[in-house]
Amino acid sequence: MSGGTVRSLGKGSAPPGPVPEGLIRVYSMRFCPYAKRTLLVLRAKGIRHEVININLKNKPEWFFKKNPLGLVPVLETSLGQLVYESAITCEYLDEAYPEKKLLPGDPYEKACQKMVFESFSKVPSLMVSFLRKQNKEDCSDLKEELHKEFSKLEEILTNKKTTFFGGNSLSMIDYLIWPWFEWLEALELNEYVDHTPNLKLWMASMKNDPIVSSLPTDVKTLRGFFNLYLQNSPEACDYGL
Amino acid sequence: MTDDATRTLGKGSIPPGPVPEGIIRLYSMRFCPYAHRTRLVLRAKGIRHEVININLRNKPEWYFTKHPFGQIPVLENSKCQLIYESVIACEYLDDAYPGRKLYPYDPYERARQKMLLELFYKVPHLTKECLVALRCGRDCADLKLALRQEFCNLEEILGYQNTVFFGGDCISMIDYLFWPWFERLDVYGIADCVNHTPALRLWIAAMKQDPTVCSLLTDKNTFLGFLNLYFQNNPGAFDYGLSC
Repeated sequence: MSGGTVRSLGKGSAPPGPVPEGLIRVYSMRFCPYAKRTLLVLRAKGIRHEVININLKNKPEWFFKKNPLGLVPVLETSLGQLVYESAITCEYLDEAYPEKKLLPGDPYEKACQKMVFESFSKVPSLMVSFLRKQNKEDCSDLKEELHKEFSKLEEILTNKKTTFFGGNSLSMIDYLIWPWFEWLEALELNEYVDHTPNLKLWMASMKNDPIVSSLPTDVKTLRGFFNLYLQNSPEACDYGL
Repeated sequence: MTDDATRTLGKGSIPPGPVPEGIIRLYSMRFCPYAHRTRLVLRAKGIRHEVININLRNKPEWYFTKHPFGQIPVLENSKCQLIYESVIACEYLDDAYPGRKLYPYDPYERARQKMLLELFYKVPHLTKECLVALRCGRDCADLKLALRQEFCNLEEILGYQNTVFFGGDCISMIDYLFWPWFERLDVYGIADCVNHTPALRLWIAAMKQDPTVCSLLTDKNTFLGFLNLYFQNNPGAFDYGLSC
């Protein structure tokens, strides 16, 4: 990995220059699970890239030219092409960089990964709701919903009889859903996979993956980030640096 | 008369047999916009297919083995593989069948079409809410305003690109994915929502010239007949317009 900034860029920062040839740039934020998807794919495919972290609580004006929605992740190529929406960035990378394919070549298997992705779709907002409610209100409704969503994923693994969501090797769908499972420990929700043994095994297998372990998320640092983020602190995105 | 003009199957119906080789089956409903997307792609690519229409108010028990919640559209092939979610089904067809490609080859252009689809995501819900409000005699000025705003965003894209279609100068996947809701604006009573978006109106006109779109256009009176029965909760709605 070359170039980029670890410290986030905020309002008043100078816009970065064009992306050097031979490199792709990702606008990210160290704790954003959506951006983590893109980082995992970049690493898994061995794509040379640079990372520019954005202060999401104090966004630079120039960032809205990269993504009118002002969200991360965004990919920028040396041709000035911009790709956003995390799942779209991941698929773009898999298509544009043909080595080490993460999505299956078979159209049906590829469609299956997308159907699993749909099954997962309620989890991110549930986790965010947990984050916002922590210790403040009764979470029993949320807990029930999360339990339901995890049971759906468990059923998929049980029916497939494979370790990972795409088969016996790790593939795109596993990277796409992993970042939220990293939050379980920080949100004290680990017990929610006690009733879903295959999912629990999947988590352990993911933690053993060299790409996943090359981008670890420390529980204490994540909790520190959550704390500041919930207070809308402009320091949140750089917590731990 | 289109090949999907068949009576729906409902509760108590016999489950259909396996899909014959060389054909793909679509579980559908003649008036459903999501299923419409898949029918457009099947036609555009000239894919040999059969359609089984499902009575959505009286779903066959066996249908839940095709989709866990009994939704349409669902594709089933002769290998018993099932694909659902309209966008996933459309992409599967483009990948699995040779000939005319509806998505571009270039990865960046493919990504652009997918980003455009994200821009569209509020439209189905808003058009449906307008329809329901109007049918129930409720005011929908706010909803129409919100819909107009979404159409302005799409207008901006066409203006910026300076192309007739959303993917360039030729019709492509993204246009087919958007089309079903625009075809319904008139019959839903909200055609005036494109009054301030000339490029979008030109796109609508261009789409109506496309042979695939034309071949699947539903007659306005038939659609109105369906809507009338649908809002009266009549399970016969889905077969409206079919001769006995």
